[in-house]
Amino acid sequence: MTRRDLILANPLFFSAGRMRAEARPGLPFRLVEVTSAAGIDFVHNSGAFGGKYLPETLGPGCAFLDYDNDGWQDILLINGMDWPGHRRQRTTMRLYHNNRNGTFSDVTKHAGLDFEMYGLGVAVGDFNNDGFADLFVTCVGQSRLFENTGKGTFVDVTERSGLGNRQGFSTSALWFDYDRDGHLDLFVCNYVKWSPAQDVFCSLDAKHKSYCTPEAYRGATAWLFHNRGNGTFEDVTATSGIFDSSSKSLGVAMLDHNQDGWIDLFVANDTQPNKLYQNKRDGTFEDVALKAGVAFSEDGKARAGMGVDVADYDNSGIPGLVVTNFDNEMLGFYRGTKSGSYIDMAPGSNIGKLSLRSLGFGCFFFDVDLDGLLDLLVVNGHIDDTVRNVRAETNYEQPPHLFLNRGREGFRDVAAEAGPDFARPKVGRGAAFGDFDNDGDLDVLLTTNQGKAHLYRNDQLGGNRSIRVRLVGTKSNRDGIGAAVRLYCGGECSLRLVKSGSSYLSQCELPLTFGMGARDTAERLVIEWPSGRTEEYKNLRAGRRYECVEGRGISERTG
Amino acid sequence: MGQRFSNPTARLMAGLVITLAGVGAFSWYALARIAGLRDLQTQLVDRNRRDSLELLRIEDDLNTLGLAMRDMVNGDEAYGLEAYQREFTRLRGDLEDALRREKELSPGERSPDRQAYFAKSLALFWNSVDQMFALAAKGQEKPARELVRTSLEPQQASLANNVARLLFENNESEERAAGRIQQIYAGVERNVYYFLAAAVIVIALTSLYLIRSNRRMFERLARLSAQRSDLARKLISMQEEVLRSISRELHDEFGQILTAIGAMLARAAKQQAPPAFRESLQEVREVAQATLEKTRSLYQSLHPAILDDGGLEQALTWYIPVFQKQTGIEVHYSKTGASAMVADGVAIHVYRVVQEALNNMAKHSKSQEAWVRLGLGPDHLQLEVEDHGVGLPGDHGRGIRRGIGMVAMRERAELLRGNIEFLRPSEGGTLVRLDVPLS
Repeated sequence: MTRRDLILANPLFFSAGRMRAEARPGLPFRLVEVTSAAGIDFVHNSGAFGGKYLPETLGPGCAFLDYDNDGWQDILLINGMDWPGHRRQRTTMRLYHNNRNGTFSDVTKHAGLDFEMYGLGVAVGDFNNDGFADLFVTCVGQSRLFENTGKGTFVDVTERSGLGNRQGFSTSALWFDYDRDGHLDLFVCNYVKWSPAQDVFCSLDAKHKSYCTPEAYRGATAWLFHNRGNGTFEDVTATSGIFDSSSKSLGVAMLDHNQDGWIDLFVANDTQPNKLYQNKRDGTFEDVALKAGVAFSEDGKARAGMGVDVADYDNSGIPGLVVTNFDNEMLGFYRGTKSGSYIDMAPGSNIGKLSLRSLGFGCFFFDVDLDGLLDLLVVNGHIDDTVRNVRAETNYEQPPHLFLNRGREGFRDVAAEAGPDFARPKVGRGAAFGDFDNDGDLDVLLTTNQGKAHLYRNDQLGGNRSIRVRLVGTKSNRDGIGAAVRLYCGGECSLRLVKSGSSYLSQCELPLTFGMGARDTAERLVIEWPSGRTEEYKNLRAGRRYECVEGRGISERTG
Repeated sequence: MGQRFSNPTARLMAGLVITLAGVGAFSWYALARIAGLRDLQTQLVDRNRRDSLELLRIEDDLNTLGLAMRDMVNGDEAYGLEAYQREFTRLRGDLEDALRREKELSPGERSPDRQAYFAKSLALFWNSVDQMFALAAKGQEKPARELVRTSLEPQQASLANNVARLLFENNESEERAAGRIQQIYAGVERNVYYFLAAAVIVIALTSLYLIRSNRRMFERLARLSAQRSDLARKLISMQEEVLRSISRELHDEFGQILTAIGAMLARAAKQQAPPAFRESLQEVREVAQATLEKTRSLYQSLHPAILDDGGLEQALTWYIPVFQKQTGIEVHYSKTGASAMVADGVAIHVYRVVQEALNNMAKHSKSQEAWVRLGLGPDHLQLEVEDHGVGLPGDHGRGIRRGIGMVAMRERAELLRGNIEFLRPSEGGTLVRLDVPLS
């Protein structure tokens, strides 16, 4: 009996709705909430006590990661804490180990992660190339780097790595190898210069304190840390050209904007122009956002950029961008062009119209129905729980958008049809995808501000299958982050980038998933490793998981 | 009579030329104003707008520099002042590009001195920035920050003020341009109304003139038509009178003479004479008899005496067999209605119509059969002459070409205050229908 057979035989695996997953006309999949059944009991603590501190509105992030390298995606949920002087409870981030049967176990304490900190986001990457996923948790105050010992535990190496003594209001972060030396470097977004002592009194009614908008605070530069390869980092923020004290960054995504094989960065700024840092291949970056047309909205306004993702959603070979914004600003939904500029398609599309009233945070492209076209998930939720008092048509809790990619027919929001609980309004923040049950489709993890996390299991009803690929770098960084992978199938080419960051404060799983629909085989798989090496494999079969080791070939994974 | 009819064509042509000239002139005027408006919008408003966008870009850059300098003075960043150098370099490049574009777009009314002053101020600013970064590079952070606070920040504020003022001036200039545009629109609108009023007056005058001309033309035509009808009536009456006179002369004079000659020759033939003389006398007598017959036939055809003596019906009863005999065409004659005495003045014209219609039929219809129908009522007479031949020449379903005979028939109908129609029966051929009031 295989491990998969064991899982399928486990009644718990079915308990949270699979039996209820009857087919709905039109949608070949269903997102079934399995949070409680899976043993996820996380509740976010923003520390809110009435002081209306700005950081309370932002968290938390989440991640799918395989921290113990067993081939099953585990879950990390970031948490805040009570503010000094207002202590009521002890809260920490939570690491949930995948029991390989549809349930998870809370291993936070055992893993050594039961640190109290005001955490916001997380970036997962194997910074020391030892084969185990390490964690960088962004915080209000000192962010933390946790090294994975390979024995199921983590060690705080913040100070030792040279990342200590940095107070900030850090939000999203990502690992990427900007100088292609085989070691993952670290990019950290910072929001504004804020501390409880610098908190500004803002009010909607001139009586009661409300959450301030970022205009009330000075911006803060993002940070770039170069990995020296010896377990320590060097702050290259100033020398790399990243330094920008006016930025108010919330989201970051990696992309190869100019298709030169060197990873560039897109940074979503709140009320400040977005940045598109083009890698100049000499250790420095140049902001080309204005030239590329992504700095401002189509009407020249700096919007409230939150989450961001990059993907070749139209299989054109040129990546597009999505940026979540405040309500009444609609999503930035950019189509990339050959000239290197981007066109915001939202104003003229369904996506713009439907997202106009939503305040978006987490977002990512993923192939929810495994048809080969990337769909788009956006989670929403307002920042002010009293917003309804001021604007009757705006709710604090807002439903997510699940835009199904229908090719030439555009995108259609199917959130309300995806599952009975899926479209329930939430104060959504972080969002990540990963195949936690190893059934070949992509499950969804969401976090809510001052609320529960939600885990949705994806059940394919139409029989669509996928090919999943995990990369292991040897000359490149071990996670293969930055590798561009193209799958050729039936005359079409799907491009995926192994990436850290994206979405909002969150990290999706690193293995890549290519939706195959009803097709059985893909002709070719071409990998462009960050080291510059290109490898090609032929005749991959649908429904299989593969592991590609740089320079050593491909193998099928089981279990 | 004698009133001279003036031809309106020349005046109408002149009116047309004047109208076309008016339309042309107005079109030229409108196009010129539109071109002026376009130039104003392109040269001034659009240019101003684009210039304002560049000024906004400059203002945004200066504000970003201001924020950066505020952070530099605060000194709470983990990075030294040199960290800002790239940002300053980027902003300097963007500012220079924006200034270059702005210079190309700047309104003509802006004085070169002001432009030069701004460029000089900016150059001084960058000079100070270079000094500040030079100090920072030497590790002299404190004096560098002091330079930012005491020199760069005021300079930046001054530059920002300058840009704000330029933006304000652009705004004022745009308002002035908007006023001029409004004036142009108002002028064009006013002139459109003038043009429309003038066009309405010209059209009204032309219409009145045309109505008057048409009325005069129709009056003239009516007079001419009446004169022509009068003349035709007189001609026909005169013709009938002449024919009647000749016929009477032939009957009364030549007929009597020839009858007398015949009687005298008959009397002479009874006298004793040689056979040869008797034969000659017989020949002369036969010639005289033949001449008498021909004379009778001639005066009957010129004006049948039977018409005067027996009326229309008897005249037709006499004429139709004669026609049949002369042409070999079978004519079916029928009469309906009560007999009434048709006045001589009417009968001769009806008779002539029958004559003309049958002769036309014999000449053109190629028909061997004809029908003559006479309908008599107490106050109305209807005559129909019909054949089923090829129809009259020129009759191709679009009306019958009028020959002299047909014109004469129509004139006779008009003389009788009646109506004549030339129709095509369903069987083909021609149907001549004459309706005459008898009252």
